[in-house]
Amino acid sequence: MKRLSRPGEGEVLLLTANRLLDGRIVWLGEGERWRESIAEAKRFSYEEAGPALERALAAAAQKEVVAIYEVVAHDTQPPEPVTAREVIRAHGPSVHPDFSYDDALARTPAQEKERAQ
Amino acid sequence: MKLFNLSGRKTLEEASPVAFADWKDAPHGTAISLPQDVEVEDLRSHLNELTLIVLEFPIFRDGRAFTQARSLREYEGYKGEIRASGHLLPDQAIHLKRCGFDSVALPEEANTQDWDEQLSRYQFYYQNTAVSPV
Amino acid sequence: MTQSNSHSVGHYQYEERDRAFLQERINEFEGQVRRRLAGELSEEEFKPFRLMNGVYLQLHAYMLRVAIPYGVLDSRQLHKLADVAAKYDRNYGHFTTRQNIQFNWIALQDMPAILRELAEVDMHAIQTSGNCIRNVTSDEFAGAAKDELMDPRIYAEIVRQWSTLHPEFTFLPRKFKIAISGSPEDRVAARFHDIGLLARPSEHGPLFRLFVGGGLGRTPVVGQELFDSVREEDLIATLEAVLRVYNAFGRRDNLYKARIKILVQTIGLEAFRKAVEEELSRMDCAAYRLTPEHVAQIRARFAVPDLQAPADAASLFEQHKQADPAFARWVASNTHPHHHDSYICAVISLKTPGAIPGDVTAEQMHGLADLSARYAFGEVRVTHLQNLVFGHVRKDQLYDVWQGLQKLDLAAPNVGLISDIVSCPGLDYCNLANARSLPLAQKLGARFGDAALQAEIGALSIHMSGCINACGHHHVGNIGLLGVDKRGAETYQILLGGDGGENAAIGGILGPSFAEDEAVEAVARIVEFYLAQRQKGESFAAMLKRCGLKAFKEVAYETV
Ligand code: HEM
Ligand code: SF4
Repeated sequence: MKRLSRPGEGEVLLLTANRLLDGRIVWLGEGERWRESIAEAKRFSYEEAGPALERALAAAAQKEVVAIYEVVAHDTQPPEPVTAREVIRAHGPSVHPDFSYDDALARTPAQEKERAQ
Repeated sequence: MKLFNLSGRKTLEEASPVAFADWKDAPHGTAISLPQDVEVEDLRSHLNELTLIVLEFPIFRDGRAFTQARSLREYEGYKGEIRASGHLLPDQAIHLKRCGFDSVALPEEANTQDWDEQLSRYQFYYQNTAVSPV
Repeated sequence: MTQSNSHSVGHYQYEERDRAFLQERINEFEGQVRRRLAGELSEEEFKPFRLMNGVYLQLHAYMLRVAIPYGVLDSRQLHKLADVAAKYDRNYGHFTTRQNIQFNWIALQDMPAILRELAEVDMHAIQTSGNCIRNVTSDEFAGAAKDELMDPRIYAEIVRQWSTLHPEFTFLPRKFKIAISGSPEDRVAARFHDIGLLARPSEHGPLFRLFVGGGLGRTPVVGQELFDSVREEDLIATLEAVLRVYNAFGRRDNLYKARIKILVQTIGLEAFRKAVEEELSRMDCAAYRLTPEHVAQIRARFAVPDLQAPADAASLFEQHKQADPAFARWVASNTHPHHHDSYICAVISLKTPGAIPGDVTAEQMHGLADLSARYAFGEVRVTHLQNLVFGHVRKDQLYDVWQGLQKLDLAAPNVGLISDIVSCPGLDYCNLANARSLPLAQKLGARFGDAALQAEIGALSIHMSGCINACGHHHVGNIGLLGVDKRGAETYQILLGGDGGENAAIGGILGPSFAEDEAVEAVARIVEFYLAQRQKGESFAAMLKRCGLKAFKEVAYETV
């Protein structure tokens, strides 16, 4: 089994992946469903995360996700990743505030495209 | 094992290749199986006794056997069968064929339709190879 | 040679069989995508195939890298790239230092449709990634520059065709990059490629100086001369021989030691040359001979521009410069002499200070395509420093071109100057990054954006990479910046003294890394120090040599 990063004091683990079809970043939420917003990510302790990752890897093909791994985040509301890389994955590229994911929940892909133009 | 024919030559289905590790100290038989890190020059003095050389692909991404096959054909003048075995994908059919392989050893349940389709895909190629001039 | 028309100048014109080949290649990839989605191919098995079709999985989405062989596009192709950006991406594309364009927000299931659209204009993404021979790059002023010895593009096309779906060299230990130039001034970084070729004419036909084993990345190495004069007829055989030695003996156990540069370093240049010569001596050279007929066939599919100009073209140009100092300033930095006295090469900076280096919107692409169709024989080239070039512009029409570029916000007068920053996408997009590079490039661009200041500073290059893979060539910038990770935080190392051209050199690391804003200040202090201490006409490299790295180091770390 893969060795996981260990969350520190006040930190939790989240599971993340990319959707196979469009590459979109997703977060494992309640009911083992992959969600588009980090706000819907389920929080895991170090002990819970290992088995959860194993289950997610086993189900990756049916759930159509790739590149699953764990992310350390501050246990805030919503959880906020610890590293710069994961902050960018959670919120979108910093050089394009117009592509931010933070209010992406409300938008359809068509609107997404429109916004980009 | 199921043999897929690439070159049209009659394949030696019955032959049972000897592993190179066993063969090298006491060369015997007419069929041999070669890992990728062996230089085919090492077979030189026995080549005309061999009728089947199996080149092994531990993983499909490791392309050394393509060069081994071409060396056998082009430098050593080997005329017997060259067979690919191991982890191979139908997407590699034309690469194998054009480097001088005659056959591929596939698992029994393999779908050969993808292999056939791939072989007949391109009408021409951009480069000469010693075995299949354009 | 064929008649010039607006679709054909500067690159090989496809025949029916080339188009049929592309269609089959797309059918093949469509099948692979289908098998992947059906679960017949695992991600591990699918990955090499998607990479060989230019498809990466990046941080936020899939990325598609489209090849621009030897950097030459025609206006029809540029319009199509704009359409793809608008229809399938977020309305922009990113030009790279390897003469490709990248789209950052593409869905896997759209890939076959996009590749079909690109094939309509004879474009593809074949071998823009993966462990195979990559898109062949060339000199951005090929066929136009006054200082050129010979046009390398015909040979670049020959190498492109030879390497396309090469049966033996598609599963190499690692990627393999070839660049070719025909100019005495190395404009392709030939010594930083797996193979770099410098072509020159001779009484006995073209000769190629061949460098091997150069590269940046984790282990920066300046390529070494393997052969001084490869004859035209031996060109393909020689490439075959080098690749065979590499395929057989390159390391496969360690990703970071798999490039040919490591093999050449490990066994030594002499032993490597011996191995290549041994291959050549055994090879059936007739089968690999590059015949004059073949070269002529390829040459015939390149159109040359019909360069005609009114007698007063050059004097009108002088008048335009006198009348408009802003135009004169742009001409001073953004043009290159053409072999025809009434023509000039125009460089279009993709580094508008404060903008993202290399990014171009769909509207800008359409506008550039229109301008090139009208004034530049419909031809646009991509440079290895992430800018664009109109190769053949009539001098009396350059003023119109410049005004057109201004309307597109693409008239920054900074080519070769400090704000002409080369940068990789960094952590904002890239899966492998340690730190962002674009925001830093934007800040530095803005900091030195003033045209008069830049002109005063003069030639000075800044190159920026978000990690050790060195896609932004940080080792060869006069000032290089490298993103490093310090426990999850982004920091930046500064390197000084690199050079990617004739005097190839790898920059030296100054010291411990800086936080982003500190890095901007440190660069500013380095530049001020250069301005204050340089002797008349002294280049940055020359002053660095004179004063030593230590002097610059003291300045850089002054207040930190
Ligand atoms: C965003 C996706 C990209 C990824 C994942 C990526 C990945 C890599 C990797 C892993 C290497 C090092 C390979 C090795 O040394 O074996 C590399 C090298 C290189 N990349 Fe990229 N790259 C990306 C984008 C770019 C861009 C945008 C450019 C141009 C601006 C570029 C230009 C280069 C060049 C020129 C090298 C060669 C450096 C050398 O000589 O080692 N890449 N890239
Ligand atoms: S240098 Fe590193 S961060 Fe930049 S594009 Fe290349 S791999 Fe990504």
